[in-house]
Amino acid sequence: MIRLEEVSKVYKTSTRPALERVSVEMDKGEFVFLIGPSGSGKSTFLRLLLREEVPSKGRVFVSNFDVAKMARRRVPRLRQTIGCVFQDFRLLGNKTVAENVAFALEVIGKPKQTIRKVVPEVLELVGLDGKADRLPNELSGGEQQRVAIARAFVNRPLVLLADEPTGNLDPDTSQDIMLLLERINRTGTTVVMATHDHSIVDSMRRRVVELHLGRVVRDDARGVYGVGR
Amino acid sequence: MRASFVFSEVITGLRRNITMTIAMIITTAISLAMLGGGLIIVGSIDKMQQRYMADIEVSVYFTSDISASDKDCSGPVCQQIRQELGDNPLVESVVFEDRDKAYQRFKEIFASQPELVELATPGSLPASLKVKLKDPTRSELLVKQYTGKPGVDRVDDQSEFLDRFFSVLNAGRNITFVVFVVLLLAALMLISNTIQVSAFTRRTEVGIMRLVGATRWYTQLPFLLEAVVAGLAGAVLSVGGLIGLKYVFLDGILEKIPPLPKVELIDILFPVAPVLIGASVIISAITGYLTLRLYVRN
Repeated sequence: MIRLEEVSKVYKTSTRPALERVSVEMDKGEFVFLIGPSGSGKSTFLRLLLREEVPSKGRVFVSNFDVAKMARRRVPRLRQTIGCVFQDFRLLGNKTVAENVAFALEVIGKPKQTIRKVVPEVLELVGLDGKADRLPNELSGGEQQRVAIARAFVNRPLVLLADEPTGNLDPDTSQDIMLLLERINRTGTTVVMATHDHSIVDSMRRRVVELHLGRVVRDDARGVYGVGR
Repeated sequence: MRASFVFSEVITGLRRNITMTIAMIITTAISLAMLGGGLIIVGSIDKMQQRYMADIEVSVYFTSDISASDKDCSGPVCQQIRQELGDNPLVESVVFEDRDKAYQRFKEIFASQPELVELATPGSLPASLKVKLKDPTRSELLVKQYTGKPGVDRVDDQSEFLDRFFSVLNAGRNITFVVFVVLLLAALMLISNTIQVSAFTRRTEVGIMRLVGATRWYTQLPFLLEAVVAGLAGAVLSVGGLIGLKYVFLDGILEKIPPLPKVELIDILFPVAPVLIGASVIISAITGYLTLRLYVRN
């Protein structure tokens, strides 16, 4: 589903590469933690998958897209197969929960009747049925993140990228969010989650890819956060 | 593409930025009105040329003794000059007008001012040769050739009189075009700025749109249309302004200056209005597109 081949990324403003000769493969339906300290290259990794950045060297594949080489006008197609969740939720404050989720479908030109059908479904999946007409600032952090996940998942992406999705949440709420991500993973969606949260990584016992200074230093099939340190 | 989505984005965008929008529309409108004014003047010049140039004559007036003695251009002086003019390749026709005919014509022209007619007598008007040229713009040569000849009092060139109007009109046209260009620059910068501000205030939305895979049309068309809608509003306002100006000021002023043709409503509606609207839409669309390309990440 995701494959990086000898990928290096050097930013113009930096002397040290953000990623250096990274080769990783993630299969369909996998749940992968991407861990490492700040500046280790986690965000760059995710940005390459979304083609927010292009690699300086190497090749990136997502599904059947040759991400680094594809034409710019095809990038929207790629992004429609990838869902994204962030630490800061990135919801639109002037739109209700349902409208926030619907927005993601409207802007890719989905017909109205489809939107009317799938938005309640996905809100139920994330446990927000009944809160469809609330505004984001009327919700707790955990609920807001659920809206963001609903928005990321509503178009049934093949891949869900989560960049520190629990970074702003307390441990109990984080646990709920993880359960939700697991549920999404069980539908066959590949989930890649960048995180700092030891306890979550340790309790889930999923694949762990650790980056350090832009290199893959560990890739455990059923890993914990802090081995060997 | 969902039209309702794009349309509502455009309206919200213009409303959120209402002061900028108004500034943009007004500047565009005045700039276009200048262009329109210039075009109307060009039209007036054309009309005048069509209306008067064909009838323009060079009149060779004879001194009063010849005017008094020679009733039918049979005298040596008059006959020679008429012969010469008739042979001149520039000349189309030569007609002799004696004092009586001149007086008749004078009465016709000033029929509305009887006090003037009363003052004149046939004896006070000179006899003349009315010369029509094949190319009225080349009258200078004749004027030079016959001025000061024995028996000739003076040579009058009607086109000289018209030229004075043309030079005033041309100057007016040039001024409006210069003001148009200057204001156009201001309008372009305002359009570009408004789009940038608009894109900045909506960066979260646009960020989300890009993330979920919206095409560039979806993310950028609302901004582009904002510029075009404002441009269109400016164009409509300028056409309305020109029409208003015609009825409130121009009609009254032009009536008092007879050689200047009246500006008709149709003159504004036909060549001018579509030009202004088309120019405005094209210019604002191009400015919007370039701004998005150069300043706004997509």
